[in-house]
Amino acid sequence: MSDFLVDLSQHPVFRQTVKQLGLPLPMPEKLRRARGPWEDRPLADRAVVVFTAGGALGNTLATALAPAGAVPHVVGEATDLRPFLSPGEAFGRPPVHHAPGASPPEDLRAHGLVFDATGLRTPAELRALYDGLHPFIGALARCGRVIVLGRPPRTASQPAAAATATALEGFVRSVAKEVGRKGATAHVVYVAPGAEARLTPLLRFLLSDRSAFLTGQPWSIDATAADAPETPFAPSYVRPLEGRTALVTGAARGIGAAIAAHLAAEGARVVCLDRPGDETPLAQVAAAVKGVPLALDITDAAAPERLVDFVKDPAGGGGRLDVLVHNAGITRDKTLGRMSPEYWDQAVAVNLGAVVATTTALLDEGLSDDARIICLSSVSGLAGNVGQTNYSASKAGVVGYVRALAPLVAGRGITINAIAPGFIETRLTAAMPAMTREVARRLSALGQGGEPRDIAELVTFLASTGGKGLTGQSLRACGGMFIGA
Amino acid sequence: MARSSSSSQSAGARARARRAVIVGGIRTPFVKAFTDFTKMDTIALGDAAVAALLDRFPVPRAELDALIWGGVILPGAAPNVGREIVLDLKLGAHVEAMTCTRACASGLQAVTLAAAAIERGEADVVVAGGSDSTSNAEIKLPQKWVHALAPLALGGKPKPADYLAVLAQLMPITDLVPTRPRIAERTTGEVMGEAAEKMAARNEIGRAEQDEFAARSHHRAAAAIASGRFDEEVCTVVTPDGGKVYADGLVRADTSVEKLARLRPVFARAGTLTAGNSSPLTDGAAAVLLMSEDKARALGFTPRAALRSWAYAGVDPADQLLMGPALAMPKALARAGLSLADVDLVDMHEAFAAQVLSILKMLGSDAFARERLGRDKAVGSVDPARLNVHGGSLALGHPFGATGARMVTTMTNELVRSGKETALLGICAAGGLGAAAVLERIG
Repeated sequence: MSDFLVDLSQHPVFRQTVKQLGLPLPMPEKLRRARGPWEDRPLADRAVVVFTAGGALGNTLATALAPAGAVPHVVGEATDLRPFLSPGEAFGRPPVHHAPGASPPEDLRAHGLVFDATGLRTPAELRALYDGLHPFIGALARCGRVIVLGRPPRTASQPAAAATATALEGFVRSVAKEVGRKGATAHVVYVAPGAEARLTPLLRFLLSDRSAFLTGQPWSIDATAADAPETPFAPSYVRPLEGRTALVTGAARGIGAAIAAHLAAEGARVVCLDRPGDETPLAQVAAAVKGVPLALDITDAAAPERLVDFVKDPAGGGGRLDVLVHNAGITRDKTLGRMSPEYWDQAVAVNLGAVVATTTALLDEGLSDDARIICLSSVSGLAGNVGQTNYSASKAGVVGYVRALAPLVAGRGITINAIAPGFIETRLTAAMPAMTREVARRLSALGQGGEPRDIAELVTFLASTGGKGLTGQSLRACGGMFIGA
Repeated sequence: MARSSSSSQSAGARARARRAVIVGGIRTPFVKAFTDFTKMDTIALGDAAVAALLDRFPVPRAELDALIWGGVILPGAAPNVGREIVLDLKLGAHVEAMTCTRACASGLQAVTLAAAAIERGEADVVVAGGSDSTSNAEIKLPQKWVHALAPLALGGKPKPADYLAVLAQLMPITDLVPTRPRIAERTTGEVMGEAAEKMAARNEIGRAEQDEFAARSHHRAAAAIASGRFDEEVCTVVTPDGGKVYADGLVRADTSVEKLARLRPVFARAGTLTAGNSSPLTDGAAAVLLMSEDKARALGFTPRAALRSWAYAGVDPADQLLMGPALAMPKALARAGLSLADVDLVDMHEAFAAQVLSILKMLGSDAFARERLGRDKAVGSVDPARLNVHGGSLALGHPFGATGARMVTTMTNELVRSGKETALLGICAAGGLGAAAVLERIG
């Protein structure tokens, strides 16, 4: 799907003209997206500025950045540099020191600004956020990243500390809207005490080009999902899904096909499921990802049982399922007064009923310990929409399901999360009326729609071994959409 | 992240049953590209080196089994340079030949392939070596020309409309200008000097250190030439126009740190790499004669050295392009059952002074050893007195395919002359590759 304005905005003459004439035309920046499978050094030679601010995550940041290829710039006291020295030596990325309060050197294009706010406990201390980022925000590169790290508000011992931690969320939402014009994004990551090791994979993901369309998002890292005693947390960053089997529903086209392709590219064996009637495109997707097609109506009463049988079949799922992606979804739009009962039933059955029924059956039999479950929700579902009472109810239900199920399966090391996509350029959105589509695209921090692969990148990250720190969460993949916050 | 080197034993031990030995080596003088050897392509240079080798070590031709040649810039019309040398020199149709390429480690690759073939019992007498003629790099015709013109050249009887269609395809015209070959990484597009420039910055190697290292390389190479010790390994080459080239053309005995300090950086405006502390584009060839130990003695040759172990390693080009030897050298040492402190001599290919100094720093770093090699302690430090004792590629030049064979030859001769036991070789190569080998003296 081509976005005319994004293409045009690449043209320097056009940019110049719009600027000089002061035209109220949005000029969305073309997002830099990753190509091909995960790389060992996703941040090769990118400058990442770390603001230590008396926080607790200096060691974690030091051991995360240099192996990923980033060149750390440390703003803080000279002693804050210490953890960065040894990784810098081993990976040839010695840290660059900046005194607190100093302006950045003129030639610095910072790909990332990472602020460790875990040390901030009072509203007055929030000032450190301003003091640190105010001079550096101008040095943020196009398609750069601003990441603020904090402690979860619920672990705060004082209400003031909880307020301070929650303030970070409002801060990054506004930053996201300010830097979105240059394709840059902003996030806050809450790291529970004791879960620091699980931050590294998320940090790599968020700083990489694979998170291009995610912004203004709070993330929580905790130790809820348990590690088996004999297998300590050891994320792999190249082919992270090798030896894993994944099931993707609604895989015949659009986002589902992209998810299947991305999971397969990282080494997963993918079972591609879609409804009977779509066998042809389904077979094509399955062939392209060297996976297994499965035509099955997931709303059928016998579907959970058939799914379990298929997973156990050596020629089907191969015995056990490690990644379950509930992507299948339908809309049956009508205002409540005009909606037929069939419309209500169909939307709720596919979007929510089948998710609960199949997950329940597979948790009993089929899903491995340490499995990853990812459900697709929807931003417009969460925000509510005229004519979508059935759709919104089902997509909001997914959020509640994920939140409630996460603690119940955490003991087995299983995680479950929801992703709420915003405006994604697919067959469905291409069929929208032109003006509606244009408005939907522009009403976001990044001023453009996402691509199916943006969702697939997030699914792949959550499915990886390194995604273990996240569970029970609903994550928006919406380019900072203005609605539904 | 950490890689273990524990599985690396045995290659040396297993091979002892039948040992490949180095009988001797020889090379052409190394000269600056586009000077004396401009009219000699890589095959002609190879001819010169192999002819000289077999003059000095007259092997009965019937005993010669194979020729293995390394090269980087291969002639498109005859990429199997090794076989062309055999045919040019009429060594005998039975002498089978191949050509291998592993960027700047191609020469060492040829030598280790030969040793492996001998130790497996596939051959008894093998000539191994390599050559490159930067002066004869082919100017590449853009693929667009090739694809567009193919229908006219190969497609039966073209009509006028076909010609027009071809013309239409060839727009815009700027795509059609033949491009100069660049020593750039295919994956990253980075020129090698830029990668070395980054390594200098990352490993905090200053300009003064680099210039000092380069000056030492020149002074040592000049001293080696003056002492006459290279006479046994450098042959005279007669060029097509009848001229004779006796000696290396790039070594500057009179250079100094002060002179080198005056040169301008060439790869980055505020950089530290200059023409003086980078290896120059060079034409030349080198060849080594390897035999099984029994055959060497039966033919009346003196086995002089053997390869106790070798190792190759790869790193992400986006990491540090030329750091490969920092991984390959510890691997080869482990296979030889030696520590860095045990070896008497260390000979490293000097692509850039910054690259050698970076690798030395890595070998000396505990943090590097922990994170990258999975061992507690640093590999060790290298005393300048035992490092590149007769200079290196900075001074002598670097015909890509020849350098490995040159190093094997020089170190073999040095071991024999000095009576020392072992020498460790290390070579960095494009694509993030590293090569290393441990030579041991025989007798």
